[in-house]
Amino acid sequence: MTNVEKQLFASPRNHRYILTVTVIVVALFVWSCLVVSFKDVNESSLKIAGNIMKGLIHPDMDLLFNVTKQSVLYLLLETIAIAFLGTIVGAVLSVPLAFLAASNIVPKPVSWLTRLLLIVIRTIPALVYGLMFIRVSGPSPFAGVLTIGITSVGMLAKLYVDAIEELDTKVLESMTSIGCSTFEKIRYGILPQLLSVFMSVTIYRFDMNMREASILGLVGAGGIGAPMIFAMNSYRWNEVGSILIGLVVLILIIEFVSNKLRARLVKG
Amino acid sequence: MIEFIGVEKTYANGTIALQNINLTIDQGEFVAVIGLSGAGKSTLIRCINRMHDITGGQLNVDEVDVAKLKGKQIRRFRRRIGMIFQSFNLVTRTTVMKNVLVSFVPDLPLWRRWTGIFTKAHKIKALEALDKVGILDKAFIRVDQLSGGQQQRVALARTLAQNPDIILADEPIASLDPVTSRMVMDDFKKINKEMNISVIMNIHHVEIALEYADRIIGIRKGEVVFDGPTNKVTKDILGEIYGGNFDEIQSSFEENSAHV
Amino acid sequence: MYDKIFPPKKVTLPNGKVVLEKRTRTPLILLVLIVATILSVNFTEFSLKVLFTRINEFFVIIGEMAQPRWSYLPHLWKALVDTLQMSLLGSMLGAALALPVAVLSSSNVIRSKTVVAVFKVILSLLRSLPSLVTALIATYVFGLGPMAGVIAILLFTISYVGKLLYEQIENADMGPFEAMESLGMNRIQAFRHAIMPQVLPGYLSTSLFCFEGNVRYAAILGYVGAGGIGLLIKENLGWRDYSTVGMIVVVLVVTVYLIETVSEHFRKKLI
Repeated sequence: MTNVEKQLFASPRNHRYILTVTVIVVALFVWSCLVVSFKDVNESSLKIAGNIMKGLIHPDMDLLFNVTKQSVLYLLLETIAIAFLGTIVGAVLSVPLAFLAASNIVPKPVSWLTRLLLIVIRTIPALVYGLMFIRVSGPSPFAGVLTIGITSVGMLAKLYVDAIEELDTKVLESMTSIGCSTFEKIRYGILPQLLSVFMSVTIYRFDMNMREASILGLVGAGGIGAPMIFAMNSYRWNEVGSILIGLVVLILIIEFVSNKLRARLVKG
Repeated sequence: MIEFIGVEKTYANGTIALQNINLTIDQGEFVAVIGLSGAGKSTLIRCINRMHDITGGQLNVDEVDVAKLKGKQIRRFRRRIGMIFQSFNLVTRTTVMKNVLVSFVPDLPLWRRWTGIFTKAHKIKALEALDKVGILDKAFIRVDQLSGGQQQRVALARTLAQNPDIILADEPIASLDPVTSRMVMDDFKKINKEMNISVIMNIHHVEIALEYADRIIGIRKGEVVFDGPTNKVTKDILGEIYGGNFDEIQSSFEENSAHV
Repeated sequence: MYDKIFPPKKVTLPNGKVVLEKRTRTPLILLVLIVATILSVNFTEFSLKVLFTRINEFFVIIGEMAQPRWSYLPHLWKALVDTLQMSLLGSMLGAALALPVAVLSSSNVIRSKTVVAVFKVILSLLRSLPSLVTALIATYVFGLGPMAGVIAILLFTISYVGKLLYEQIENADMGPFEAMESLGMNRIQAFRHAIMPQVLPGYLSTSLFCFEGNVRYAAILGYVGAGGIGLLIKENLGWRDYSTVGMIVVVLVVTVYLIETVSEHFRKKLI
């Protein structure tokens, strides 16, 4: 046997593995295709699609730019306020939870339990929280703030934990040699390491929360979602158009600013 | 002056790290401690500023019995002794300046310690320290944008800002390339000579140790096997320090000569 | 700009050297944050008093949810299957469609700047639409049911996977690509043989990750009529039957956890 042939036979043979995975994926695909149905798609739905497009192209300009409490601008401002305050509430709640979930800070069982709690918090859909908080505060943007707060906890705490577990503890050794007390070590050795990561993660979550906050109106928890639903239910597509345009522009601006800020935090 | 009188150190697990160490190091000496990894070099240095407690004998630094210090006294005692580490041990996510300013933190009044607002006098002192190691222009740049050599200089500046009498250095050039190693060693030499600060350094590169230090202390299995001026070190003595393990010395010689 | 309004402070060392210290931005950032918080508190009628006096209502509901109604389990399967099918189909089709879209958005593969710009804009527009809103619109076109959900998930997956994929393609090593072109391949062939192998693991891993998230999304899409388990959540919340909602949440947690574990296993293999 020549060397070339030897190499040919030595080439990794995971065909069977790849084949199995492919078969499973194809089977899953076929199975999930069962969900497809076009029975409700008819002439009227095409007409609606056309109307939606027309609405998006001819938005209700007056709704977009007037300055009353029903205007798109005011509602967007309310949505930003919900997302912002919700992010702050979430960040405040996440810090202690993150320390309780960090395996290099607390004993294993405590961190495991906290992580389980975080998974549960993450999995309950935002709208469910929204309806629960409406029982607390009544249908108001306040319920939206609390909802955004608790849904942010799931992700923020998880990412904070990563930062805490990556802490560089060698700095603390050098601070001991300088003569620093425990408080001073936390304030000047640990806080500076965590602060920029925490801020970057929080800004990212604020960006995501803008999207979350815009749908809370569905359950009456404030923001631009409710007027959007009303407009859709009564087929006023040009109003829907102006709301969507305002929302998309705002979200794009916030995403742009948040990317810039985070890049600066990373590079310094 | 640092005096070791019959110092012993046994770790909790029973390992004997140091035994019967008797040394006197005068103010302003440049001492290199050499020996195999695990011989007790690092332990020796860390006993001086009480990062490790000794388990026997007596250790005096300027007539202070180090073992008798407690809590706050230890912290105040450490203010006079700077320490440099192999991995620099800086907060990389913040600026050079803030890293240097940390060395003033224990002296601040409470509200300044909380807020992290420093006085102008402290800032000027920190900048002077950076100037001494030649990286004044990097003062407001984040540490993670500096090279290894520059980071070690920041660490050196942080120590200088403490205005120490003694600098302990634990393998300061082990993570640096040969050229920057020499630049950092030059800084140590300059500080030692111009400011009369004692430098006690663990070092793996025998060649560099012989070139820069005034005095060599050789350690083997927790005991001092050689203590004398650099020019008295011969190949036989190195052989004894490294336990006849010539390969290691040989290779470290070659490594260094290749770099020069 | 900030440096122009507040010029850097000059620090003079005793030896005459001068260092420029930029003014710290911390006070400004703190001020902005505080003002924004106060404004938001006013806007949203946030009130700690209400929070502390009425938060027990929240825990009453949590308490009811903590006693899930197990007898409801058999009614859940159909909706759960719908949810899984929706997210699977939407993710698979979306990930597949994301590939050509991502290629068309990559400035290093496509020469025409207009094409690249148009597709990048489409991707970011898609991404900025909350999936619940797309689902809602889709219900008007495709009728109530899982089909609308599939469309919403599909669009979201294209936007998410497409963006991450074109970033990977643009960061790929172009050396092999040029080598393949010099061998006489056209740009599509060169992409297939030079860049695809570089981005494939990342692409599959992103798609899996997106699928994990889509299962969560799919769970609420039913709320607007787009099929799946969300419809049951809506009904039972409406009847204030919280222990049934608790049961649904338990099933969701378990499903999501299982899917995440499997997907994480494969993602680790890919990297």
